[in-house]
Amino acid sequence: MIKPKICILRTDGTNCDEELFYAFEKFGAAPEMVHVNQLRGKSKKLSSFQILALPGGFSYGDDVASGKILAVELISFLKNELQEFISKKGLILGICNGFQTLVRTGLLPFNNFGQMDVTLAGNDSGRFECRWVTIKTGDSKCLFVNGSDELIRIAVNHGEGKFYAEPKTIQKVEDESLVVFRYVDESGQPTQTYPQNPNGSQNAIAGICDPTGRILGLMPHPEKFVDITQYPNWRREKITKPHGAFIFEEMIKFAQQN
Amino acid sequence: MIYEIRITANSPTDSKGQELLAEIKRTLGIKSIKNIRSSKVYRLEGISFSDAQKFSQAVLFEPINQQMSFNKPIFSSFDKKIEVAYKPGVMNPEVGSLLKAASDLKIKLTAADTSTEYAFWGKVKDKDLSIITNRLLVNETVEQVVKKPPKTLMISGQKGKVEKIPVRNLSDSQLMELSKDRLFLNRQEMKIIKNYFAKISRDPTDCEIEVLAQTWSEHCVHKTFKAKLIVDGKVKKPLIDRIRQTANYNKKLIISAFVDNSGVIDFYDGWAISGKVETHNSPSAIEPYGGAMTGSGGVFRDVLGTGKGAKIIASTDIFCFAPPDLPSKSIPPGCLPPDYILRKVVAGVRDYGNRVGIPTNNGSVHFHPDFRAKCTVGVGSYGLIPKKIAKKQFPKVGDLIVTIGGRTGRDGIHGATFSSGEMTDRTITVLGSAVQIGNAIEEKRMIDAVYDLRDQGLIRAITDCGAGGFSSAIGEMGQKIGARVFLEKAPLKYSGLSPWEIFISESQERMVLAIDPQNLKKAVQICQLHNVEATVIGKFDGSKRLRVTFDKKPVCDLEMQFLHHGLPQRVMKTTRNKQQPVLDRVETRSGETRNKKLPPLPKKADDWQEIFEKVLSHGNVCSKEPIVRMYDHNVQGTNALHPFSGVNLDGPNDGTIVRPILKKPYGVVITHGLNPTLNLIDPYGGSIWAIVEAVSNFISCGGDIKNAALIDNFIWPFPDEESLFDLDQSVDACSDMARLLKMPFISGKDSLSSTYRYPSGKILKIPPVLLISVFGKIPDVRKTVSSDFKSEGSTIVLVGKPDFKNLGGSTYFDVLGTKDPEIPKIDLKSLTKVFGSVTKGITQGQILSCHDISEGGLAAALAEMCFGGNCGTEVDLSSVVTQTDTPGVKSGRHHEDTPGVNLRPDFILFSETAGTFLVEVENPQIAKKLFTGIPYAIFGKTVADKTISVFSGSKNLCNLDLDKLKNAWQKPMREIFH
Repeated sequence: MIKPKICILRTDGTNCDEELFYAFEKFGAAPEMVHVNQLRGKSKKLSSFQILALPGGFSYGDDVASGKILAVELISFLKNELQEFISKKGLILGICNGFQTLVRTGLLPFNNFGQMDVTLAGNDSGRFECRWVTIKTGDSKCLFVNGSDELIRIAVNHGEGKFYAEPKTIQKVEDESLVVFRYVDESGQPTQTYPQNPNGSQNAIAGICDPTGRILGLMPHPEKFVDITQYPNWRREKITKPHGAFIFEEMIKFAQQN
Repeated sequence: MIYEIRITANSPTDSKGQELLAEIKRTLGIKSIKNIRSSKVYRLEGISFSDAQKFSQAVLFEPINQQMSFNKPIFSSFDKKIEVAYKPGVMNPEVGSLLKAASDLKIKLTAADTSTEYAFWGKVKDKDLSIITNRLLVNETVEQVVKKPPKTLMISGQKGKVEKIPVRNLSDSQLMELSKDRLFLNRQEMKIIKNYFAKISRDPTDCEIEVLAQTWSEHCVHKTFKAKLIVDGKVKKPLIDRIRQTANYNKKLIISAFVDNSGVIDFYDGWAISGKVETHNSPSAIEPYGGAMTGSGGVFRDVLGTGKGAKIIASTDIFCFAPPDLPSKSIPPGCLPPDYILRKVVAGVRDYGNRVGIPTNNGSVHFHPDFRAKCTVGVGSYGLIPKKIAKKQFPKVGDLIVTIGGRTGRDGIHGATFSSGEMTDRTITVLGSAVQIGNAIEEKRMIDAVYDLRDQGLIRAITDCGAGGFSSAIGEMGQKIGARVFLEKAPLKYSGLSPWEIFISESQERMVLAIDPQNLKKAVQICQLHNVEATVIGKFDGSKRLRVTFDKKPVCDLEMQFLHHGLPQRVMKTTRNKQQPVLDRVETRSGETRNKKLPPLPKKADDWQEIFEKVLSHGNVCSKEPIVRMYDHNVQGTNALHPFSGVNLDGPNDGTIVRPILKKPYGVVITHGLNPTLNLIDPYGGSIWAIVEAVSNFISCGGDIKNAALIDNFIWPFPDEESLFDLDQSVDACSDMARLLKMPFISGKDSLSSTYRYPSGKILKIPPVLLISVFGKIPDVRKTVSSDFKSEGSTIVLVGKPDFKNLGGSTYFDVLGTKDPEIPKIDLKSLTKVFGSVTKGITQGQILSCHDISEGGLAAALAEMCFGGNCGTEVDLSSVVTQTDTPGVKSGRHHEDTPGVNLRPDFILFSETAGTFLVEVENPQIAKKLFTGIPYAIFGKTVADKTISVFSGSKNLCNLDLDKLKNAWQKPMREIFH
């Protein structure tokens, strides 16, 4: 089967690109590092990829707000390419800073390019949080990730991850089944309790998709748990399959079949 | 016209305001303030009104959770308000992003700035406001209160001229006046300069004087370490030779030692790993946030500047402060409160390391009151590099000198000379310009560019622009062949710098590359792709001189020979019978005031619980998790041993293991050790302890000393006779231990300025610190362990030979206020075998968990293993009495009949003997098989009930509540980082 081509989009301050590259490669895709300047200068074309992946990091230092300057850049220079990519059924994955960027372009949650509907605000704790949490996948419009009762251990590493919006916007996100991942407690229930919910996200929202189900963004880092030894407790818990793997497997499978 | 845009949260409170409010209540005890709100202020200049509005909407303002005001105040009805901004000339890292966003939106914007406004509600006295401002909000070195809005944001100035310094006519006292606060050279060195210029019949330029002072600074040239040393009338090998000759041990492992920006050892599959540890004490003491940032930035660039460029894979941070609760009257003039320094240093490491994307996954924090005048901040960084380009590289004649990265400004002038001088109450005001704020993203994109340049084979040689700036980088690279620099080509942050300032400025985030002219075009293109400025400022010309001009005017013309070899070897003398200077030690040197009165033995079970909690909550023992959680220790996805693991992910591990090549199981184990308290009591013994502790941590994770190297950092008081003697002892300890363990030192650094002089002339010596770092390779990260107990019913074994009689300098004695000069003796005879057995047990998978014994003793190690395992233990102290060197001896004889007579249970529990371990194995037979032939004791077993039950034979001493212990252990840092 043909390996889907993945555009790992980098810019000044991107820093989770290598582990994301590794995750896609491990599960059978053909990732390529692409600097945003290469798309701007047209030496690389978004249309030659099946998946656009925005890694974590601090794009442009997260100055003004996390992902903001990159979002302004994407809106200013790559609007047409991105819209064409989406209309031709490309898939987009934004992790952490990538998610923040997608939200600030308006692509998530409602695919309103250029208009921001929700925000990822500063963590309630007021600080950067580097810890492991548990999330669960709900039933959503996401085309490649299915709801499940499995508890997923996953890393969060961010200072601005609080999913926040007006109540009616949150309601719309829920009504349209756009919530893909929620922070949960040990019993699997969505939680507002710190640090299980590490940032105070409303409705414990950790990740969402757009109404087409092709754009997925999440704060936690599935790419940091695709090998067993990446998990802090691999020595005491018998892990048969790394918990972050399914997102890449499913996404790649979907890209291959569609 | 400047437009002002203010942004604040929509809600009546915001986290920055609430944080400040809490801090005011907690740190300053001011309770009358009801609320504080903060707003970000943006100032835009050289932009049209409509563009300013458009820019605000598109970039600055997010209406979902914010409100904005345009050219008018945002808060009303407040009682007091202040605005805090960077001083003009201090680079505000955010400005670059604002200009970029404007350019992306095709908006013309000439200059911008940002600041923060705080509005206060409630009773705010002017006096209180000024205390709040000075203690919590403004560091005058880099920040100021904005009283009147600025008229322009553009910095300009007259171009400075090249001045001649008439040294030939100066008297000795005039020479010293010139040196003071600026050059930090001594009389002899100043006279050498004077004589040199007399010989060549001209006066030096200001730049030449500065270049000489920088090149000859203690920081850059290590005069003490290279000195001819006479100890007690006998000539000893220079300190540096004693350390460097250890690189003869394990030679096949070493790729480069002491010649490059970091030390390099072999890894696997054609790769090598490198390590470097720097200190950044002086800048951190006066501007902790900026100081810690630039410390991280500098050490990252050291690794980047190794060979033809190494990839940075991990970072470590080791701090020593005064206890956070030090009364403010004990803080010397011109020094900052320790809790403020602690928080700001942590924030600096967080904001720099996280942004650059280097996992900060190992570190520690130590407290001693004598760090009150100057903290110790150690920052380490480790790298991965293809073996074939891992050796130090040199430019060739004709290569271009290319500077990449940030621009040059006035920031960081005199860093190298300043950090070589002692600190006084005037340091903060006179040398404020030596500190700056780092720009992590500038560094990150430069790093990305260097990786690409390296992979395309475009780099001939590379070095970082650290202390001494261009002067140091170009002077060192061109040492053998000479360099020609056209200084007017150097890109500047703003005009108005004198040529000498440009040449020695330590503006951050710059590297100097030697590039073959035919590769230039391609190199510049790669830099452009990464938004990195690359500029040719000269070439390596074969003249064997350092020649610098500015617009054709001569700025510097020195022979490389004089610059690098003109400084004669110092002769330094020291004796054991030292003259004591006037000391102001909170802790007197306990050797002189031995208090033989030993503390009473805890009697009741409650006493035991209390003393355990006291030891566990001691600053040197307590959990540092709140700090670690703010560092992105998980970026790059390479951790195979995280800083914390266990049922609740809160059991601390002894080191970190990273797997730098994700496709491979190969690991790099990184650990460290230090003990300033022991160094203070016994420089030799304390140094042995630090080395053994560092290596024990390494062993405890699963490392093998055959595949590891050491890095030294001496952070020592100014080497007067007394401190020099202590330093000599410490260096001997390093060379002795390296010989015993057959482990090489491959990189190191000394910083001999841990001295503070009060206005009265009284001296405070900061505790001497020997910081030892260990890094090494392991073939498979799956054959390593963590410290958390893995299951119930396991056997706990004490491995190694603890000293249960001497607890001088221990946490236990500190808690009780007991002084004793006898520090724990490490059994060096059995040490190598102990290390070997533990390594073997871990590699073979028979050791389930392992923790080395250090501060807090066996008790703390045991408790931490229980915290991780979320379980309890039953231990029998009498087991250690039967421990002998004789294999297999295990008897139930009564204590009084054995060599272990009268061992106090509290001493067994709280002795801090480095080189001893607690390990978990499935059953006693495994322990016997593993440890026969070395000292060990079957110490107890793990149980499900969360209680530590301590027995002595059949007698139950106490049953300690694990949750209470854990709370005591976690509380101190939670309170500081609430």
